[in-house]
Amino acid sequence: MKIAVCAKQIPDPALDITYSEGLVSRPDEQVLDDTDRYGIEVALQLKEKFDAEVTVISMGKMGTEKGIQQALQMGPDKALVLEDDSLSGSNSLMTANVLSELSKKVGADITIFGTESTDGYSGVIPQQVSRMLGLPCISYIKAVEISDTVSLTRQTSTGSEKVQMPSNCVLSVTAGGVEPRYPNFKDIMAAKSKPVEKISLSDIEFSAVQNIEFIDIKDVSTTKQGEKIVDEGEGFQVIIDKLKELKAI
Amino acid sequence: MKTLILGEVVEGKLSSGALEIIAKSQDLGLDFEVATVGTEESPNIGSESFKNTYLKCNETQLSLGSVANTLKTMVDKQSISLIMAPSTYVGRDLVAFLSVDFSSSQVSNVINFSIEGGNVITSNSINGGESEYNSKITSDKKFLLIRPKSFEEVQVELSNTNYETIEINSEDPEVFDIFIEEKSGPQLEDSKIVISAGRGMVDSSNLSLVEDLASKLNAAIGGTRAIVDAGWMPYSQQVGQTGKTVKPDVYIALGISGATQHQVGMKDSKYIIAINKDEEAPIFQIADLGLVADTLSIVPKITENL
Repeated sequence: MKIAVCAKQIPDPALDITYSEGLVSRPDEQVLDDTDRYGIEVALQLKEKFDAEVTVISMGKMGTEKGIQQALQMGPDKALVLEDDSLSGSNSLMTANVLSELSKKVGADITIFGTESTDGYSGVIPQQVSRMLGLPCISYIKAVEISDTVSLTRQTSTGSEKVQMPSNCVLSVTAGGVEPRYPNFKDIMAAKSKPVEKISLSDIEFSAVQNIEFIDIKDVSTTKQGEKIVDEGEGFQVIIDKLKELKAI
Repeated sequence: MKTLILGEVVEGKLSSGALEIIAKSQDLGLDFEVATVGTEESPNIGSESFKNTYLKCNETQLSLGSVANTLKTMVDKQSISLIMAPSTYVGRDLVAFLSVDFSSSQVSNVINFSIEGGNVITSNSINGGESEYNSKITSDKKFLLIRPKSFEEVQVELSNTNYETIEINSEDPEVFDIFIEEKSGPQLEDSKIVISAGRGMVDSSNLSLVEDLASKLNAAIGGTRAIVDAGWMPYSQQVGQTGKTVKPDVYIALGISGATQHQVGMKDSKYIIAINKDEEAPIFQIADLGLVADTLSIVPKITENL
């Protein structure tokens, strides 16, 4: 079994996202999107059971590759990444085009994603990749049970449903679906010697085009003249009085 | 502009997300029709005021890929150029599949749109709703995923007539177990009062304090991405950019710092009460009433004295 698992490098989410010409400003040092840790965890659980080979796939500005290293530290075998200046500001379909080609290069039976990135949150990349690869998409996975077969529980609007994992498919895993592992010192050191192969746009079949034109960013902030009080023992009563005034009780 | 609105059957009727997009489309005078996905027999999704096609799936199959194939034929046959769906689990899957079929990327998380000279202009909310990101779609086919609660629902009588049904037969993966979440108490999307918890609740065991208060106020319970990621609450209760959008009469934020990711999902609530021990927490900037206090000790006091 071969598994491709997507990892996105994003600006440190503790800092506010800034934009330049309509694009998210990306520093040289970016970190692994925590959302991807869930997909990586599922890939590693499959690796342990079925002796699968796990390859991290990623596109975008690589910079110091800190985020790629963080992904490898969890336990995947290697990484295949693509960086090309012309991909800056890619729409979802361009991104999905690149990632589906990387999945093909890996020869992946199973391609795994988080459900949506923390900086772009378009929430459609796994599904688009599955359509491009002509494979079923099992989206919004919230639980995984691995025995001789793999049972996946999907989040639905009314509850959940279980499906058996097909032998070739694309998965998206929701945050909280599994417990991502923490690398120890040995894992961190081992990741440094794992191969990170870099390819360019000319190495893949790329046909997606840009169809979203940035117009502007408008400030629509409204400042609220709210009331702020510091509790000196009677704060609970202030809240209760307000709830009464609002007819909430 | 010929338009297709994708809806779902939720509890036997047309989903609120679709009714919201219908309202906006009527306002703009768009030539639209609706396609609704579901598994139920004769749901109440029909109306005299618009055409609807019911794409009836087998509930024991994951058939959205096949639904997309049927939709593709509809879009081709009727020269539809604008396709919109609410940003739900089903809506996201379908729009993603169709965007590949028509080689036209979607715009996600749209909170408003307009038609200007045959072009579709979309607005997204960024920086926690403090800024609006505007763009223009330049392809022939235009796909939008609309954030729920961006528009008011259209008021229409819905019946189990006035629509055509197409049975979807697929060879997609089989669903072997279906679990319907029992909905007890008020639901996040339509409750008049929502109480949300954040990291300031310190430990998942303290959520019982939130539950006690919620049951006294008949409120729905939500949480931040941080506590959902930490496994304190299911994803279905997440409020924020990557979760649900709520607009209750009263929103009570307990131990929530107010990251932009969270604000997007609740800032349009009519009245916001925030309790946090950090005086500098950004949540206070959008709160109507802020109380700087130890959340863990004050919540039980409120509950006891109500």
